[in-house]
Amino acid sequence: MDKVLVFVETKGDEPRKASMEVLCEAARLAESGRFSMEAVCLGAVSDVLKNRLLSCTHKLVRLTDPELAAYSPEGYAHAVAGHARQIGAGMIMAGATGVGRDFLPRTAVILETGIVSDVTAANWFDDPITFVRPMFGGKVFAEVACPASPVVVTVRPNSFAMDMPEGINGEYVEVAVGLQAGSIHTRLLRVDDTRKDAVDITEADLIVAGGRGLKAAENFKVIEDLAVVIGATVGATRSVVDAKWRDQADQIGKSGKTVSPKLYIGAGISGAIHHIMGMDSSKVIVAVNRDPNAIIFNYANYGIVGDLFEVLPAMTEEFKRHKERV
Amino acid sequence: MNILVLIKQVPDPEALVEIAASGKDLNIEPKFVINLFDEFALEEALRIREKHGGNVKAISLGGTKAIEALRTAIAMGADEAMLIEDESFAGSDGYNTALALSRAVQKETFDIILCGRQAIDADRGEVPQMVAQFLGLPHVGVVVKLDVDDGKAVVESVLEGTKEVIEVTLPAIFTAQKGLNEPRVPLITGVMKAMKVQIPKVPVEDLGLTKEMGGPDGSKTRIERYLPRKKRPAVQFIEGEPRQAAAEIVRILADVERVI
Repeated sequence: MDKVLVFVETKGDEPRKASMEVLCEAARLAESGRFSMEAVCLGAVSDVLKNRLLSCTHKLVRLTDPELAAYSPEGYAHAVAGHARQIGAGMIMAGATGVGRDFLPRTAVILETGIVSDVTAANWFDDPITFVRPMFGGKVFAEVACPASPVVVTVRPNSFAMDMPEGINGEYVEVAVGLQAGSIHTRLLRVDDTRKDAVDITEADLIVAGGRGLKAAENFKVIEDLAVVIGATVGATRSVVDAKWRDQADQIGKSGKTVSPKLYIGAGISGAIHHIMGMDSSKVIVAVNRDPNAIIFNYANYGIVGDLFEVLPAMTEEFKRHKERV
Repeated sequence: MNILVLIKQVPDPEALVEIAASGKDLNIEPKFVINLFDEFALEEALRIREKHGGNVKAISLGGTKAIEALRTAIAMGADEAMLIEDESFAGSDGYNTALALSRAVQKETFDIILCGRQAIDADRGEVPQMVAQFLGLPHVGVVVKLDVDDGKAVVESVLEGTKEVIEVTLPAIFTAQKGLNEPRVPLITGVMKAMKVQIPKVPVEDLGLTKEMGGPDGSKTRIERYLPRKKRPAVQFIEGEPRQAAAEIVRILADVERVI
């Protein structure tokens, strides 16, 4: 039986959401009998975190090394590759987060194998297994097979359902890696953590995004107010980021981030192809625009033609009322 | 300071992309540009040269047509360019692309390699890191600021949205993100120069590789078929005054779509 090794990213006491989705998928695969599973993490592991992870995996291995205290692509790539080789993993799977997509290509080279990046679905029971991944900003999708072994896969956040497995109580092991001294050439000097608590937009379940139609930076308040009420993350189009109304980290689209939330609400956004490429894989899209011919309506499930400065505050009030009811 | 820039020629972002009837190929409107993120890489290389002196060389892996992207690089100000000319490697996976590029790079003397953080056609974002690993070099990904000084670089990276300041010893590889700089528009004198310059073309055999290695059977991953994007049903407009429309959309999102 093939072994799946899941790389779990953690942040304090919390596993990254993208990692949990992959872990839940691996647990489902293990249940089906197609694979056995093991999870690996490299950061500090508190008891809270450990217990949470052990309810989702049959085995959790923490790789320890003084060189792994901070993230480095070289250190992580070697540690994960070494462990995968040790246990004879047939697949290495991780969330397609910034970190996952940064170091796992290196892991693939160390293991002389291929990587399938940013997949949105997998055909587990096909032979060979194929992974579905978007190309050209989601204009087309490719079904990719990896004849080489182990296959390294990164999975786009919000692609696999996070249904917690039941009845799992895994074992915890620590393994010393023994990285060579001087093998890491990057050093983290400092982190600008002003955005530390913000949910990364690629992992957000709900997004409210604004465009040029907001007319000024301070008008994003109507977007923020709505976002706060439903617990959404704020996104922006390229033009408002270029105008410095919003931070680059909020940008959705070709030169920004690709998101696939459960719900995307876009207001004052015309629907330039650059933006559409970044949000078209959202599950439900609601667009608010004054112009009934705005291109974004071609990509939306629901459209409201109207002045966003009237519609958004009304939606905020309605969501508040809805919350009070439930 | 010797700087190499790895660039890719990609279809124009607005180009039509259609799946061939066989499902195994794509028909792409023949309009090509330098990959958006590679322009940031190239611009940064030119700025480092302006500050520290040295040489900027652009290298691309592609078919015959990719020479145009290299001419644009020369027009922007690169000193030299080189094309690894091979259709099969150019259409191969990230591993093979990185293998061929790393073999070419091994023959060069350099302090810095700059690349775009992702090519906007295949959207893989794998190759720079793989080149780094093939060469046993460090890399810093998704860079928005790069200061070079005395055998090392101090870099701002936004891998996860938060800004991290990282120090790295050179030689090293960096992947450029939007925000790093504003790429220049080539001057007419640059364009004239680019039209005349001889750009060497290197076959993969000169890099110790064979054409077969770049083919489907020599690749680690393989595209089995292409699938169209899932089409959304036609938009449903919510009518009424703002308050009515707001009440209706909240009802739909909560009770019908169940996403709230």
